[in-house]
Amino acid sequence: MYHVQDEVSLLRASLAGETDAWGEIVVRYKEAVFGLCLGFLRNRADAEDLTHDAFIRAYTNLHRYKLEKKFSTWLFTVASNLCRNRLRYRRYHPVIAPPDYVKGGNDPAHIVAAEDRNSAVRQAIDRLPVSYRAPLVLRYYNELSYKEIAEVLSLPEGTIKTRIHRGKLLLKKDMEKDGVVYYESG
Amino acid sequence: MRVDNLDQALSETLHQEVQEEAYRIEQLEERVVSEIEGRVPRRGIGDVFRRMLAPSRGARIGQLATVGLTAIIFLTLGVFLSGKIFPSHHAELTPIVSAAANGENQVLFVMPAPGAHSVSVVGNFNGWEATPLTDKNGDGIWTASIPLPDGRYEYAFVVDGKWWGQDPLADGYVHSFGEYNSVRYVGQVGGGA
Repeated sequence: MYHVQDEVSLLRASLAGETDAWGEIVVRYKEAVFGLCLGFLRNRADAEDLTHDAFIRAYTNLHRYKLEKKFSTWLFTVASNLCRNRLRYRRYHPVIAPPDYVKGGNDPAHIVAAEDRNSAVRQAIDRLPVSYRAPLVLRYYNELSYKEIAEVLSLPEGTIKTRIHRGKLLLKKDMEKDGVVYYESG
Repeated sequence: MRVDNLDQALSETLHQEVQEEAYRIEQLEERVVSEIEGRVPRRGIGDVFRRMLAPSRGARIGQLATVGLTAIIFLTLGVFLSGKIFPSHHAELTPIVSAAANGENQVLFVMPAPGAHSVSVVGNFNGWEATPLTDKNGDGIWTASIPLPDGRYEYAFVVDGKWWGQDPLADGYVHSFGEYNSVRYVGQVGGGA
C-alpha cells in the first residue's frame, strides 16, 4: 500500500524535527486514522478532533516507535488509546444530540429504505458495545490481521477472534430483530 | 438484506462513512504541521546516546561541545580537589622555590595582573601585612621573592585592593571567612605542617 522505504526516510526526517516530513505521514494516514476514530467513537466531531490529536501525540512520542516495526500498527495504537480515553470521558459527559448516523449522514431524508443495507449496518454498529465494535472496525475498515488488532488493543489474539465473531453475531441479531426498514423521527 | 454478506457490508459501510466525512480532514496535514512547527519529537535517553555516537552532523557539534566543556570542568575540579585533598609533599621540588644561603628557601610569588596599579601578597608568613610585588619590565607579570623557612603557608594576593585567593601556582586552597586562601608547602613538610 505504501512505499515502506520512503516511509522510513520520512520517519527518520520527522524524528530530526523536519515537520514537512511528518506532514507527508499525515497525508498518507489521515484517512485510516479518521476511519478508526469514527468507527470507534461514532461521533464525527470527536473523530475529527482525535484524528488531529493522534498525529500530534504520535509526533511528540515518535522516539518510542521502533523503526523495525510496522508504523501503522503503532499509529493505530496511539489513536486507539485516545479513543478509549474519549469514550471513558463520554460516559460521564454524554453528547446530548442523538448519534450522528441515526440521521443517515448528510442525507436530508430521514426514511431509510429497506434496500439501504449500509444504513441498517450503520445503526447496528452504533448500538454495538465498543468492546466488539473496535475489533470490527480494525478488521473491516483498517484491514488489520488478528495479530495486529491484538497488538493495537493490547488483548490476546484469541480474545480478538472471539470478539469479532460475537460482534458479527450481535450485529446480525440486531438487524434481524428490527428488520431492514428503519424509520427515523425528526 | 442478506446477512451472509455481512463482512462486505461492514467494510462498505465503514468506508462510506469516512468518504462522507472526508472533508473534515482535507487540510489536516497543514493544521498538524503548523502546530508542531519548531518542535522536535521528545527523545528517549537511549536515543540521546545513540545520536551522540552516530556519525557527526552539524546539529551534533553543540552536543559534543557540551560534553567537552563538561569534561574540562570536571577535570579542572578534579585537579583542584586533588590538590586540596592530597596536597603535594614535594614542594621542595617546585622551581619557584630555591634554597637560600641561610637555610631558608627563596620562594617566588608570581601574579599575572596586566594593567594593575598595585599587587601585594599577604599571608601567615608576614602576619597578613602586605608585601608588594613588582613588575619591573611592565609585562603585567608581578613577582616577589620572599625568604621562608620550611613550613606550610596560607596566603592571598591583593590586586588593586581586591582579594585574589586562588594562586594557580599554589599547592592547594582553603576556604575560610567566605574567601579562598592559597596554600603552599615549603621544604620537607607534610600536609599537616
